[in-house]
Amino acid sequence: MLLLLIVLATLGGILVGALPGLNATNGVALLLPFTITMEPIAAIAVLTTIYCAATFAGAITAILINTPGTSASATTCLDGYPLAQRGEAGRALGMAAVSSTIGGIISVLCLMAAAPLLAGAAYKFAPPEYFALTVFGLSMLASIGEESSIKSIMSGAFGVLLATVGIDLLTTVERFTFGMNELTEGIGFVPVMIGVFGIAELLTQAGQLGIVRERITLRAIQLPSKADYQKTWKAILRSSGIGTFIGILPAEGATIASMIGYNEAKRWSKTPEEFGKGSIEGIAGSEAANNSATGGAMVPTLALGIPGSPTAAVILAGLMVHGLRPGPTMFTEQSTFVFAIFWSMLLVNVLFFFVGLYGARIFARATLIPLTILWPMVFLFSMVGAYALDQSMIDVWIALIFGVIGYLMKRYGFSVVSLAIGLILGGMLEKRLGQSMVMLDEQWWLIATRPLSLFFLVLTVLALAGPYLLRKIKSIKS
Amino acid sequence: MAHQSNSIKSGSANVSRWVIPGLIILFCAIAFNLTTQFDRVPEILKRGIQPSDFPQLILLLLIGLACLLPFENTQHNRPAVPPSVFISLALMVVFVLLTHLDFFIALGCFSGMLSFSWGERRLGALLLVTLFFPTFVFFLFDLVFEVRFPRGLLTNLWYG
Repeated sequence: MLLLLIVLATLGGILVGALPGLNATNGVALLLPFTITMEPIAAIAVLTTIYCAATFAGAITAILINTPGTSASATTCLDGYPLAQRGEAGRALGMAAVSSTIGGIISVLCLMAAAPLLAGAAYKFAPPEYFALTVFGLSMLASIGEESSIKSIMSGAFGVLLATVGIDLLTTVERFTFGMNELTEGIGFVPVMIGVFGIAELLTQAGQLGIVRERITLRAIQLPSKADYQKTWKAILRSSGIGTFIGILPAEGATIASMIGYNEAKRWSKTPEEFGKGSIEGIAGSEAANNSATGGAMVPTLALGIPGSPTAAVILAGLMVHGLRPGPTMFTEQSTFVFAIFWSMLLVNVLFFFVGLYGARIFARATLIPLTILWPMVFLFSMVGAYALDQSMIDVWIALIFGVIGYLMKRYGFSVVSLAIGLILGGMLEKRLGQSMVMLDEQWWLIATRPLSLFFLVLTVLALAGPYLLRKIKSIKS
Repeated sequence: MAHQSNSIKSGSANVSRWVIPGLIILFCAIAFNLTTQFDRVPEILKRGIQPSDFPQLILLLLIGLACLLPFENTQHNRPAVPPSVFISLALMVVFVLLTHLDFFIALGCFSGMLSFSWGERRLGALLLVTLFFPTFVFFLFDLVFEVRFPRGLLTNLWYG
């Protein structure tokens, strides 16, 4: 039964990744309510499967219609589409499938090895260390926004503020509930995710109705030739390592991984001049990196409860909805779930290789679904999904309100991903701060006197100041 | 004409530069005022921090960062919001009003109207999003996921 669910989730994930405007993050957010009646193991396996499959499927639209199905496939467009225009779409998709599979499997193996080690190390963490670590996780939001670091941090802080709505569990004092009983338990993760990732995207799509996409016909997908393998194996391995490492960093996901993977593939290539004109190495570098980031992102998510990517943040919300507590204790008290995640991720990486190879032609047709049919359906799914979780209309209103807020945030350059991560980490941040204050006798500055906390706080300063310092150094040099 | 276009663009940049931070600061000030009305707990029960301390800390951070926004070097002239976005938003208001009649009537009507307003004219496609897909989703959630939807004109027919 679980195997069948994983196969179905793989197909669903690839469909989500191939559909215009939908990506792994909003796909997982929209499908999260479907898992409510499932056993937690099955639910988590389904969510992680959709994550991996949708990340891979972004390459299909990137290559065939020059529109990345997910932002992580943006760099795949650069070489995938020119190859497709030359009549080599099958070769490009074949390389995308192979490099994605290799990258994905390498990262899951790293996840299997690194997550228990990190969880073991995290056993030594006391509340001040957790507090400093969460602050570091939030500081990484500075680098994920499209427009400005300050706006990204502000979005994250807004998410943290939203997490304070409801009854304060330590003191039972009501905060920002305005006398509404429905808000005493706080603002649910799922309706907010559905709003900012689903409804906000609908409004964004409403503004892009005139865009006509040219789709290239795919005759047959083909496995890379021996010459292709010889040319790309180094790029695949290098990008797999880069992607896994970037994925492990809190909040940094597949998009940044694919950019760095692509750039490094170009830097080390013997034929860098081919990049952007249809280089098979470019596709390999980008796709291996973005898929390997999925496994890497699950390392801090599972071991520390700090999301490693935007989609991992939604999965983290899913874990919490199903009553799981990500963190070091999960590896001892709920190890079955951890292994379910490991094996489902490993399995989906093998599955999407075959589905990608033999089903790409069918999934490519998904790009033909008109927006006028797709998005009304997404709205319907979103509203029913928001309602279904707690069977409460207040969640429907929350999803709608956050849909509008999310649209406005995106329009003015504020990251909705940061908001989602802030909302998830907000509760933990306040709890750890309170515990630290009790432990340190209300002398908050003592947090910085503990070596590990100090380490994370220094990393926080570097994460915040790093981009500015680098820019300064570059301007001085130039 | 070019002069008019430039003034529209600079107006949009001004919204980004001054109005947005102003609105954020106003929102934070109102929220901060609300936090001052939170119940305070006795010293012995407060477990490290008062319930208002943490939200106040975050609000002060937001105000501080909002003050920096106008001086950021990332002001963009954004294109005007297309009419289709306003129409979609208006349809959402209609959806909210129709939910008082029935959740699924509201969903079906919204889907059909959205599709139509986005340019769909094929009857089959409109029937698909207005009638067939909502019916499929209702039975999927009702029979498979055992979700009970709010009572209304249509759902009463099924629930009895």
